[in-house]
Amino acid sequence: MQKTLDVLGQVCPFPLVEAKEIIEEISSGDELVIQFDCTQATESLPRWAAEAGHTVTNFEQIGEATWTITVQKK
Amino acid sequence: MLQMLFTGLICGALLGFVMQRGRFCLTGGFRDMYIAKDNRMFYALLIAIAVQSVGVYTLIQLGVIEFSAGTFPWIAVIVGSFIFGIGIVFAGGCATGTWYRAGEGLLGSWIALIGYMLMSAIMKSGPLLPVNNSIQSVQFSNNSIAETTGLPVWIFIAIFVTIVIVILINERRKPKVIIPTMKPKRTGLAHLLFEKRWHPFFTALLVGMIAILAWPLSEATGRMAGLGITTPSANILQFLVSGDQSILNWGVYLVIGIFLGSFIAAKASREFRFRMPDAKTGITSFIGGITMGFGASLAGGCSIGNGLVMTAMMTWQGWIALLFMILGTWTASYFVFVRPNMKKKLVTTNQTILNA
Repeated sequence: MQKTLDVLGQVCPFPLVEAKEIIEEISSGDELVIQFDCTQATESLPRWAAEAGHTVTNFEQIGEATWTITVQKK
Repeated sequence: MLQMLFTGLICGALLGFVMQRGRFCLTGGFRDMYIAKDNRMFYALLIAIAVQSVGVYTLIQLGVIEFSAGTFPWIAVIVGSFIFGIGIVFAGGCATGTWYRAGEGLLGSWIALIGYMLMSAIMKSGPLLPVNNSIQSVQFSNNSIAETTGLPVWIFIAIFVTIVIVILINERRKPKVIIPTMKPKRTGLAHLLFEKRWHPFFTALLVGMIAILAWPLSEATGRMAGLGITTPSANILQFLVSGDQSILNWGVYLVIGIFLGSFIAAKASREFRFRMPDAKTGITSFIGGITMGFGASLAGGCSIGNGLVMTAMMTWQGWIALLFMILGTWTASYFVFVRPNMKKKLVTTNQTILNA
């Protein structure tokens, strides 16, 4: 199962705040795809995922100041 | 004039570039100490302060630059810094952060910047000048920690540097988490400059070195100070409405340089795009900018002027300002992030109980 969280246009720390909330709603092993354009989140989102023990299965820049990261819940 | 323009722009551009690439955000740093129990960015700031302190006092010792700590307007510093700390949460970045995010194309930061420049000018040369002056008139005659205590400044620098080294050793001992990175699409210098993730402590080292560089460059043009953001930001507006060229100084070119440096970094990293916030965020940013301008003007500095520079100069103003701007950031974070979250959780729990 995959769930998408679109936080384009939102500035920090809201992408991270929302990601933390949404990941509670999915089951272990499911993936959360986060689309974001806040530059600072390129640091805070992968750090949060790593420290919380989730796996990052995809992380790439998809356009000018636009990124996507896929976090698989532990 | 030409020298001022050139060195100011270069120093600012370096700072803007480094801050953009290193994601050096003090607002986020202060906020995360409270909401995420993460002190990393605060430690990075301490590193930048330590580097600058050693460098600038060495230059003073060698007679290259002059520094006078002046007086300590304590009420203005305490109240102003606290208000500044609240403002930066609403503006979504401190003064410098707002300048460099404006360079990334975030129009919300442009809005915050307009509020910030406007309120700073109102406080420094406008109708609120008497209020500002009267609060600042309550002061202690000595701002330098060394002069107050009668001890040489190097003792305080040595103690501080030791504390920073101990923090760094402790950080190194913590179990390492590997932060996932993007697959590199570039190689060589382009990868290092425009793609690779910079460690916050490395960024801090560079920020500290740029802060040292700012002193001799600025003093060569007659401006006897290091990095500063608030007064120069107000100066831009004062110049634009008066046409008085004497208002222009090294600091003005510095802040314009921050904007340009960040734009260059963002553009080359494919991180520049005009982004328009919704109306609510736009208004919050404007109010944040106004609040930030009021606080920084009253306190005689922002997170750079007081938090990075006056701390490194070992002044009461710097350290007390830093403490109160952090408290202000935490207070605003409580109302913006912590309380709404608690309410939401409460509602969900109540619903679960009802459903059960």
